[in-house]
Amino acid sequence: MKYPTAFDVIVIGGGHAGVEAALASARVGASTLLLTQAIETIGQMSCNPAIGGIGKSNLVREIDALGGAMAIAADQAGIHFRTLNNSKGPAVRATRAQADRVLYRNAIRGAIDCQPHLTVYQDLMVDLTLKSDRIVSVSTRLGMEIEGGAVVLTTGTFLGGRIFVGSEQHTGGRAGDSASLELSEKLRTLPLAAGRLKTGTPPRIDGNTVDFDKLEEQPGDEPRPVMSFLGSAESHPRQVSCHITHTNPQTHEVIRRGLDRSPMFTGEIEGVGPRYCPSIEDKIVRFAERDQHQIFVEPEGLQTTELYPNGISTSLPFDIQYEAVRTIRGFENAHITRPGYAIEYDFFDPRGLLPSLETKNIENLFFAGQINGTTGYEEAAAQGLVAGLNAARKVAGQSAWVPQRHEAYIGVLIDDLTTMGANEPYRMFTSRAEYRLRLRQDNADLRLTPVGRELGLVTDERFNAFAMRRDRLERCNTVLTNTTVHLNSDLANKLSEETGEAISRDVLLLDFAKRPNVRAEHLTASGVFSDRDEAHLVQALIDVKYHGYLRRQDQAIERSREQMGIQLPVDMDFDGIDGLSNELREKLENVRPSTLGKAASIPGMTPAALSLLSVHAKRHSGLRKTA
Amino acid sequence: MSETICAVATPPGRGGIGIVRVSGPACQQVARVLLRQVPPPRIATLADFCTTEGEILDSGIALYFPAPASYTGEDVLELQGHGSPVALDRVVGCILEQDVRMANPGEFTERAFRNDKLDLAQAEAVADLIASGSAEAARAAARSLSGEFSRCVHELDHKILTLRIYIESAIDFAEEEVDFLGDREQQDQLVAMQLLVERLIERSSAGLTMQLGLDVAIAGDPNVGKSSLLNQLLGEDRAIVTATAGTTRDTLHGELSLDGLPVRLTDTAGLRESNDPIEVIGMKRAEEALEKADCVLWVVDDADENGSPPKEYQAKSLVVRNKCDLTGKTPGGLGDDAFRTCALTGAGLDELCEQLKQIAGFRTGIDAFAGRPRHIDSLKRARGALASAVDELSTRQGELVAENLRVAHQCLGEIVGATTSDDLLGEIFATFCIGK
Repeated sequence: MKYPTAFDVIVIGGGHAGVEAALASARVGASTLLLTQAIETIGQMSCNPAIGGIGKSNLVREIDALGGAMAIAADQAGIHFRTLNNSKGPAVRATRAQADRVLYRNAIRGAIDCQPHLTVYQDLMVDLTLKSDRIVSVSTRLGMEIEGGAVVLTTGTFLGGRIFVGSEQHTGGRAGDSASLELSEKLRTLPLAAGRLKTGTPPRIDGNTVDFDKLEEQPGDEPRPVMSFLGSAESHPRQVSCHITHTNPQTHEVIRRGLDRSPMFTGEIEGVGPRYCPSIEDKIVRFAERDQHQIFVEPEGLQTTELYPNGISTSLPFDIQYEAVRTIRGFENAHITRPGYAIEYDFFDPRGLLPSLETKNIENLFFAGQINGTTGYEEAAAQGLVAGLNAARKVAGQSAWVPQRHEAYIGVLIDDLTTMGANEPYRMFTSRAEYRLRLRQDNADLRLTPVGRELGLVTDERFNAFAMRRDRLERCNTVLTNTTVHLNSDLANKLSEETGEAISRDVLLLDFAKRPNVRAEHLTASGVFSDRDEAHLVQALIDVKYHGYLRRQDQAIERSREQMGIQLPVDMDFDGIDGLSNELREKLENVRPSTLGKAASIPGMTPAALSLLSVHAKRHSGLRKTA
Repeated sequence: MSETICAVATPPGRGGIGIVRVSGPACQQVARVLLRQVPPPRIATLADFCTTEGEILDSGIALYFPAPASYTGEDVLELQGHGSPVALDRVVGCILEQDVRMANPGEFTERAFRNDKLDLAQAEAVADLIASGSAEAARAAARSLSGEFSRCVHELDHKILTLRIYIESAIDFAEEEVDFLGDREQQDQLVAMQLLVERLIERSSAGLTMQLGLDVAIAGDPNVGKSSLLNQLLGEDRAIVTATAGTTRDTLHGELSLDGLPVRLTDTAGLRESNDPIEVIGMKRAEEALEKADCVLWVVDDADENGSPPKEYQAKSLVVRNKCDLTGKTPGGLGDDAFRTCALTGAGLDELCEQLKQIAGFRTGIDAFAGRPRHIDSLKRARGALASAVDELSTRQGELVAENLRVAHQCLGEIVGATTSDDLLGEIFATFCIGK
């Protein structure tokens, strides 16, 4: 039976990728359907109840700068906020929020329900229809065929999902939810390179059975940071603490006894798990010399006593989980409310994607989130936004928009995925970003809100708030550039007094501000700026301090921009290019980079090989023209 | 193209002429510094090639082609000097100080092609050219990367990687229970790296001259003992590689090795006015030899009170006061640029040879590498980044220490192959137990 209406864009899945995809597509005006198997679980946090963290909060701020929902929801649901790397420079500072699962889901549901052009429908996608390598409709379990101009697939861990607890295993997409098996089989018949990945969760614990006196308390930060550029600490709900405890030799002993029944070690799990998020049994085997591992005890919410002991994700049998948990300090009488488990799921090699996240082989089919080999809510949401936006643009006949590596962590994420692929679940780290000094969470709006506005992603409300902030910042910069601190002037004396920095000749305030000891409060205390300016001044000074480095990077950016501008033909014949090493030829064959810039980021690429590619690309286009 | 590139356009080794080509927006700046002028477009202009300090490195023809009417379609500057590899290397070194980088193999042609300076039919040839260039570069790199040089660069590369593991972990995994390095340990490691890179540069630079050798011309009035000097220098305890005799009125060549440093000697005809057509040709050759030489031994009779070399060669001349057996004065060094010798007995020549080695940058105790200019360029940039890292560490700006180390690592990657951020993360996960 045909569904009564057709849509520009159909988004499959209501997780973090699906939500941002649906919202972005609808925000730019495409009629959008969000198809999910359970409306109640839209915006569900399947893993630990936290948003942000080092590298990840930059993604959250970028999503926010482009009008996405994640940061605002984190502010509405955040029950514990911290600034990470506070003692280090602003480029690597990050924000993390512990979120109440229910409040978070409600906030996301609210955003979905209020979004014009967006329709939600509950059913399970089981099939799709292609017309000459182009997707035209999806079919559901209830026999509905829904026509769409483009489809964004965000299957999370549901596609071919299989759950493991010890030697027990069953199909499932998440504890308590069923997997997408028919769709998995269908997709495996398409020209897409499928693989299996694995992730895991720890057993959940009832807080009523935990002795908190034995745990180390970690309160949130004051003053409290916020996630969204539009957020304020006043809007946060009641705040609570996290706690820290550790495993011990006794715990490790118990776990070792269970290893022979761990599906990780018996070979039943074929999927690759993340090295930076290993299960506790993996940590104990690989780092046998350590006699303890940290556990970060996170509250699940304000209305529940359940806890998420982050650090002991496991697929050991329940009896071992039970015994091991009770060896841990503070958990001696702990009751496990849900056992930990490992989950294995399908993903597709992201090198089969265009940077727009459209699959190369099936037109108008877009992928976002774990289906592309990533892990993490933030990584998923970022891809969702890009896929949803580009699906809508494709249907409207517009060209794709993808940020570059020097513009956003989102650009790093997409470039890494589509050129390097994913050998393990991909997570963002600041060290992945060579332009880390400019991709800061403090300036995400300056980097992306103007272009977001042009794309139609940013509302009036957000843009007006942004424009005001930008004006204030510019005023600060003008004062810094136009103020000379004269030798022995009152200002010079005040500044010296505040900062302890000697002023031995006339100096531009901007240059004085470059000195490492000079901070924004010194400048406001000296009367050059009013207290009202301080927040903006703090930001202005970050760029001042990094100025030399940023300028030096400009040249590298210019080079990559030029390389990005050189398109490589999709059907480029790498075998026919003399002078390429076999290794490089093979890599190029796998990646099939769309531009010279993408080719440049392939590991082992040499300047000479890039020259060859550029010449052949141009020759190719020349031949086409003359043909 | 935003970047300006530079390379020696003539084949490596010695030729009658050596061309350095520069392409990109910094050409005018390069011209202003090296030539003290921007030559008029497309007009061969005689000029001295100078360092920023004003020292004359060479002189020759400068040609400036403003974009787009040039080979690459960009601003192009060509400096045609005397083929001496040492002089060429120094000219390139000065150009690289002006926001210019070494060109990649085939890059000039590639730019020409991209700017529509070559037609479609030439494209295949261009690709082949780059392909052969890259194969040649790969072979050359493999040669210079074998053995000791490679081991030292890899050692430094590994030291940087090790420190980056700690520094990047401290940033990305600040909340993990990892033993981070203290400032003091970071400082010690950085200083150790600085020493290593410094020594690498020293050894590579020495190696470059060692490889290319030194051109020395012997000149002076007739009958002051030039030929005796040549014979003595090429004599008994020094290895003669070749010795070609021309007529007495022509130039005479010989090659010797000073502790491994190749020295090519040219004995020129005496410089004087003459109407004899053969002698005129000889004189012309003598002048060419003098221009090309890295060093001129200006021979005078020790009895002659004056006898200083012609002004144009003064800077690269050593005065040899010969025939001191007749004046009875003590042979030996008279400062850095004058020596008293007896070419017949060899007295005073040891001191002279020592000075020649000094000029070639030859320092005893340095185990030289066959460094390539491109490698030295990369090492120098790594050195700069390491120095900045030390600075930033002193004000405890960890993310800037990290940035400088990333740049230093990238520079070494240009020699030994790049370490990607994924490789780095892999090392981190192998080193530390990370993750919740």
